[in-house]
Amino acid sequence: MNTWPCTQSGSTANACRLSPVTRLVAAVIFVCVLALLPRMAWPAYALAAIMLLLIALLSGVNHARLAKRILLLEPFVLGVSILSLFQPGGLYIFLALLTKSTLCLSCMVFLSETTPFSDIFSALRLLKAPDLLVTTLALMHRYLFLLIEEMRRIQRARKSRTFSNRRSLIWHSLASIIAQLFVRTSERAERIYMAMCARGFNLKGQGQAQ
Amino acid sequence: MSYESKTAGDVAPERVIEIRGLEFTYPDGRKALKGINFSVGRNECVALIGPNGAGKSTLLLHLNGVLPERIISPQRVLVLGMPANSQNLAMIRKNVGLLFQDPDDQLFCSTVFEDVAFGPPQFGFEGAEIDRRVRNSLAKVELQGYENRSPQHLSRGEKKRVCLAGVLACEPGVLVLDEPTSDLDPRGKTELKALLRNIDATKIIATHDLELVVELCPRAIILDKGEIAADGPTLKLLSDEALMLAHGLEVPHIIRHMHPH
Amino acid sequence: MHIPDGFIDGKTAVVAAAVSVVGLSTALARLRATLPPRRVPLIGLTAAFIFAAQMLNFPVAGGTSGHLVGAVLAAVLLGPGAAVLVMSSVLILQCFMFADGGVTALGANMFNMALIAPVAGYGVYALVLHIAGQNLRARLFAVAFASWCSTVAASIGCAGQLALSGAVEWHVALPTMVNIHMLIGIGEAFITTLVIAAIARVRPELLSESSRQDFKAGFGEMAVYGLLVSIGLAAFVAPFACKWPDGLEKAAAVLGFGGKAAEQPVFPSPFPDYHFPGFGNERLSMAVIGAAGTLTAFILAYALARFLTPEERR
Repeated sequence: MNTWPCTQSGSTANACRLSPVTRLVAAVIFVCVLALLPRMAWPAYALAAIMLLLIALLSGVNHARLAKRILLLEPFVLGVSILSLFQPGGLYIFLALLTKSTLCLSCMVFLSETTPFSDIFSALRLLKAPDLLVTTLALMHRYLFLLIEEMRRIQRARKSRTFSNRRSLIWHSLASIIAQLFVRTSERAERIYMAMCARGFNLKGQGQAQ
Repeated sequence: MSYESKTAGDVAPERVIEIRGLEFTYPDGRKALKGINFSVGRNECVALIGPNGAGKSTLLLHLNGVLPERIISPQRVLVLGMPANSQNLAMIRKNVGLLFQDPDDQLFCSTVFEDVAFGPPQFGFEGAEIDRRVRNSLAKVELQGYENRSPQHLSRGEKKRVCLAGVLACEPGVLVLDEPTSDLDPRGKTELKALLRNIDATKIIATHDLELVVELCPRAIILDKGEIAADGPTLKLLSDEALMLAHGLEVPHIIRHMHPH
Repeated sequence: MHIPDGFIDGKTAVVAAAVSVVGLSTALARLRATLPPRRVPLIGLTAAFIFAAQMLNFPVAGGTSGHLVGAVLAAVLLGPGAAVLVMSSVLILQCFMFADGGVTALGANMFNMALIAPVAGYGVYALVLHIAGQNLRARLFAVAFASWCSTVAASIGCAGQLALSGAVEWHVALPTMVNIHMLIGIGEAFITTLVIAAIARVRPELLSESSRQDFKAGFGEMAVYGLLVSIGLAAFVAPFACKWPDGLEKAAAVLGFGGKAAEQPVFPSPFPDYHFPGFGNERLSMAVIGAAGTLTAFILAYALARFLTPEERR
């Protein structure tokens, strides 16, 4: 689904030269500082915007993709910030929130465009995140697209056998898709456990988590 | 073509796998295996064929100790002369590599390198040794350079090869494969068969791909409804039309063209 | 309900993050101690499953669509501890990989959707089961009502966090968030219940006692979660619910957003004098609406459970 510019195009762009830990920490610090600035810190926002633009331009990332992803996420930001209009001084608060939020969002989108998630896992492990958490994240990430594919397949199969548009059938259909997906998920989980055992996991009751 | 079971305790050293009267019932009551007896010698290549639901996958899972979940009768399965009990489980898993049918069940790590490197640490290997094994195994399956690739972006054939590499990284003497060429395109099948031919190990292959059986396995065992229906030389079994039809199989084209009737 | 960056201020983010981290740590500690290794892949895969299920739309009133949160679904299938871990993982992945939910807001989002939602939901579920019995109809009723409650509870937390951060005023945030989520909650209840019913029909052993043994919740564990939820709600909601106008205005002045009180709002509030006809007080109206909504949800949940289990007679 996502192609990673760093690993695939062999990009030597600045962003890719930094280790994943550095990138993750830098992005998080950037976002935290930005978010914690006083609301009307317009000069700071301008500076942040310029920094982001420079890094984006220099990094060799696909600009169209980056922009598209940011635009796709804007409605969520708008949805929440609209509520801020209904108070004294609302317009300025709204604009400030919109700006700050969009800048933070852009930074995180940029991070995910340049860093394959498996690198983020290694970064998390290096930062001593708990084993079970990292394992859950890794397994989830590994099987996410597979499960989404399976879900689409089940959906398609259902659609090809459904000839009615009745509301109640839509709900029923949705529920049985999700139920079937869970059944397949738990069966696959059993098989994965067997595959892990076949390669030595949990010998002597002490499994090595990934 | 029945198999004569050896008397208990009399295990010739070259018998790598020995199965005696193995039975298995699923939790829901279905009897999957009803008294299986056979043995496999060092560096033999044996095909396990039969209709769907015959119990092939279930049998294979016993060869590496994944089944049964609770060991009741360890003497039924002997690997390298040792019974499959909890003490010998580590040794058995190190020596018998199992390749699952669906590579997505077996390829569960986030990168190829991590996945191939999953096995060795479980058996006590560390650091540089793990590295060496991973690179070796990837070379054997002709996937050098794939170390940092993510499983999502691999083709099915590539996934199968990564799984094979993961199994080879433990350097097992016995390779057990469940439907290795299923769902592969013709090129993928040819590539995998070539790889298997070059691997030096005892091989037990459950498959529907009768061409593979003819090409790689001098011996075949027909499994049907949980029992062994036949066990003998491949060409002999596979050209016996009555036998094949009786067990939901067909004489493969290769053999028809070899022996025109 | 994912709050992006920039809406949650420092103090709220820190409190929310602290509470969420403790909650997640509790779940991890408990799971590490009690979860059999064979279940580890199931947790990871369920996280992927919840993520995937969240991508499906269901129709809500008037052409709009809603999404599943899935906290109660996870809690019923895997127990509250695993549900906390699963929901946290989903939120973390969404934050870092899809920029869905801000990094500074991660603590707040986790508090709402990975702590209140599964814990309050599971609490309601367990309570209803305790009262109504263990048969399928009771279970479905419990699931339905618990799902609705979890969604609404999460939205209250969300409203509180936004208001405490000064992004949105409380008397706008609470009615908006809660009213919308009382409706969305119905969808969540519907879907979750139908899913559990389908699983019960097709693979009852996934919901059986033996399966649940692996994911049993401990009293200590639930007590910690309850405490954390209370602390969070006290921090985010109590300041508004327990009207301390003088204190709040003083705080507002000190923190620097008191000056705006003098300006006229550019956009008139959609709820200028928010009250139910007949009730003069804003808080009372909200309480009445809340109570009415809860009662309605309760009745609908029971009706749904009955509808799905026609063969069971008491």
